[in-house]
Amino acid sequence: MHLNLTKFLLAKTMRLVLLVAGVATLSFVLVSHSPIDPVDAYVGAAIMKISPEQRQVIIARWGLDRPPLTRFARWAAQLARGDLGVSTIFNEPVTSVIAKRFVTSLWLMALAWSFSGLLGFVLGLIAGAREDSPADRLIRLYAYTMAATPTFWVGMMLLMIFSVYLGWTPVCSAWPPGLSIEQATLGQRLHHLLLPAVTLSLIGVAQITLHTRQKTVEAMHSDYAIFARAQGESTVGIVCRQVLRNVALPALTLQFASLGELFGGAVLAEQVFSYPGLGRATVEAGIRGDVPLLLGIVLFSTVFVFTGNTLADLLYQVVDPRMREGQGGTA
Amino acid sequence: MQTIRLTICMGLCVLLLAAGCGRQQQESHPLPASLTLAVGGENPEGYDPTLGWGSYGNPLFHSTLLRRDADLNIVPDLAATWHLATDRLTWTVTIRPDVVFADGSPLTARDVAYTFNTAAVAGGVLDLANLEKAEALNDITVQLRLKQPDITFIHYLITLGIVPERLHGPGYGRRPVGSGPYKLVRWDEGQQMVVEANPYYYGVQPAIKRLIFLFAGEDAALAAARAGKIDVLSVPSSLATREIPGMKLHVVKSVDNRGLMFPCVPDTGDKTPHGLVVGNDVTADVAIRRAVNFAINRQALVDGVLNGFGRPAFGPVDDLPWDNQAIRFKDNDAEKAGIILTQAGWLDVDGDGVREKDGIKAEFTIVYNATDSLRQGLALAVADMLRPVGIRAMPRGENWDRIKNELVHSTVVVFGFGGHSPLEMYKLFHSPGPEPSYWNGGFYTNGVVDGYLDQARAASSFADAIPLWQKAQWDGQTGFAVAGDAPWAWLVNLDHTYYINQCLDVGRSQMEPHGHGWPITANINEWQWTCE
Repeated sequence: MHLNLTKFLLAKTMRLVLLVAGVATLSFVLVSHSPIDPVDAYVGAAIMKISPEQRQVIIARWGLDRPPLTRFARWAAQLARGDLGVSTIFNEPVTSVIAKRFVTSLWLMALAWSFSGLLGFVLGLIAGAREDSPADRLIRLYAYTMAATPTFWVGMMLLMIFSVYLGWTPVCSAWPPGLSIEQATLGQRLHHLLLPAVTLSLIGVAQITLHTRQKTVEAMHSDYAIFARAQGESTVGIVCRQVLRNVALPALTLQFASLGELFGGAVLAEQVFSYPGLGRATVEAGIRGDVPLLLGIVLFSTVFVFTGNTLADLLYQVVDPRMREGQGGTA
Repeated sequence: MQTIRLTICMGLCVLLLAAGCGRQQQESHPLPASLTLAVGGENPEGYDPTLGWGSYGNPLFHSTLLRRDADLNIVPDLAATWHLATDRLTWTVTIRPDVVFADGSPLTARDVAYTFNTAAVAGGVLDLANLEKAEALNDITVQLRLKQPDITFIHYLITLGIVPERLHGPGYGRRPVGSGPYKLVRWDEGQQMVVEANPYYYGVQPAIKRLIFLFAGEDAALAAARAGKIDVLSVPSSLATREIPGMKLHVVKSVDNRGLMFPCVPDTGDKTPHGLVVGNDVTADVAIRRAVNFAINRQALVDGVLNGFGRPAFGPVDDLPWDNQAIRFKDNDAEKAGIILTQAGWLDVDGDGVREKDGIKAEFTIVYNATDSLRQGLALAVADMLRPVGIRAMPRGENWDRIKNELVHSTVVVFGFGGHSPLEMYKLFHSPGPEPSYWNGGFYTNGVVDGYLDQARAASSFADAIPLWQKAQWDGQTGFAVAGDAPWAWLVNLDHTYYINQCLDVGRSQMEPHGHGWPITANINEWQWTCE
């Protein structure tokens, strides 16, 4: 088992290294072909005050005077040492930019992720267990609607209803203005987090619901479920004792695979709610041509999603006795 | 997708405005513990003057050697005396001996020298390439040596905030320490910044001791203001016509202008070194450029496009000390425009409503930044105003990259400029280099104008330069004004609009420049709370 875990982790690490190398190369090629001139984006309205000589000074400060291949080689060498470089728009090491913003985003994503996962799973079970019942139809209608709705639109609607008309939730920021993060109570932070998290959850629920429903329907029609029913087991009993275990596995896969989408959704939700997380930094980096930061965020999200999927693989072994057995057999 | 989001954003703005959630306090209004300002975005790279913080606006945490008062006169701040040597290359500045930074350490001439030397090589948005070296002669005297005479260098004495040599370095922008009226208490990036009055400030202590700068989007800030949470809110003029409970409108004049830049040379197939096409056969004719200037009704642009928040623009530096009042003219004069065109040989022979000359139609494209609805409005309105005089202008939205990398030298472009330094005027109208980009992108050249501009820059004092700047505009014979070569059609100067708490008196605001930053805070130590 130990040997196996080591082997497993080694293989995963190898794969991560290859993945990061691939993603890094591809992203670098893409951003180096971006039409945005980072110097123009940086200078902004001061464009008239900047002479061509000063432009050269800025270009030299960022190392943009070197050919792309040299830049990539230098960046990759730094990356190998764990240094992601310095963000041009924040004038701060990329790692610290990401660290600061990820903390705020993490709250949002964690809340939205667990909420949508749990709710989606339960809704899917209910819908699948009572196929074609009114409850099933209602849940499906909701899921299909949400699957077809863009995040930002839901965000806008919620913002308008709850923040503007009803005044129940704040319009922006991660905690009340004027306070420091230490002064803000947990309640206040949750209050500010509520609307963005609900937005992300409402959307995230759809996929997991539909998948779980499908798997539940299959399980309900399986031999073992029919056999249990023949023995007089109630629907609730079948769901709890037979279906749940079989459905949990695909749901788990999906839930961890959705980390990537969560990242993307957070970008939009943060834009709408002026929530100062990683999403807004990504948008800034993109539109202002901050290559080090953009690449840093791309790599970070790669590792983040990869870790999520690896966790899912590890969790299979915990959840599914068959996999444990199989592993044990080869050891 | 982007467009949809934008549309929804704008729709939301309107709804936010329409929705009045009245939660403002009534009756007595004692001075609150802090004021909340939503006056624009943060400076993501931090508050380091050597990288350009404060270069348009006011450095807030730092003080400058000189400053401009509400009438834009140059007055001392940190400096006690300042003097330009007769070689016009050496500034000698003595500073007040009593100044300390917000941490209590003294500010000496060495800090000043360090600030200038560092800014020259820091690679930010400050252009101090002309600085040879700054040197502290003793504790209170600093000498700034230039490579070439340039009186516009005084702008850096006015805008460059002095940083402490001891504390400056990487990361300084996130924990700035200066000698300005306020010090940074906390900055939650992307969200807010809290500042408090600097007890060591040598000037007048501000009445408002604590400020919170809120960095929210336009619509979110507006909603917060409606809920009574914001005391100073900057809004685009398109949103300045509504009532916000408990707040009053504060309108500030600006030199933030918009105008049309014409290519002034014909298209002979020439290209810049980067391959941009140069020239336009229609706008190369001065008659066309002057006719456009006379045909436009600038007051109608102000009323229609700016909601009345602005004033007609006749030149790039309207109402600044170096403005030449003689360049004003009577516009909205289609008759005069027609005469100019007819005399120059532009006639509508084929009766299609557009004049021709030598087989060329009097038509051109006006490009504008597609994301800027104000510029779009101006371009469309101008096209309508030119139709009756027989000129066909075709407005077209483009992105800045395409404008800069393809179109800038061959089409008419809607630009916005306006700064507190005449250097800008020099760069817009002096004969261009081979690859001018936005600087005189129309390739306008006039030897006489060049002469005045060069003399003005090399003048021995700022006051001596002013008549020369004015002559470059119009010396009675020639110039870049409409009576002269008319390389531009200036359209409007914007007003900057703010909603401020009814109880707040922000004094007399300085005429604001184009751009970002927080110019309204320039006189912040004069702000008073007027309610009991």
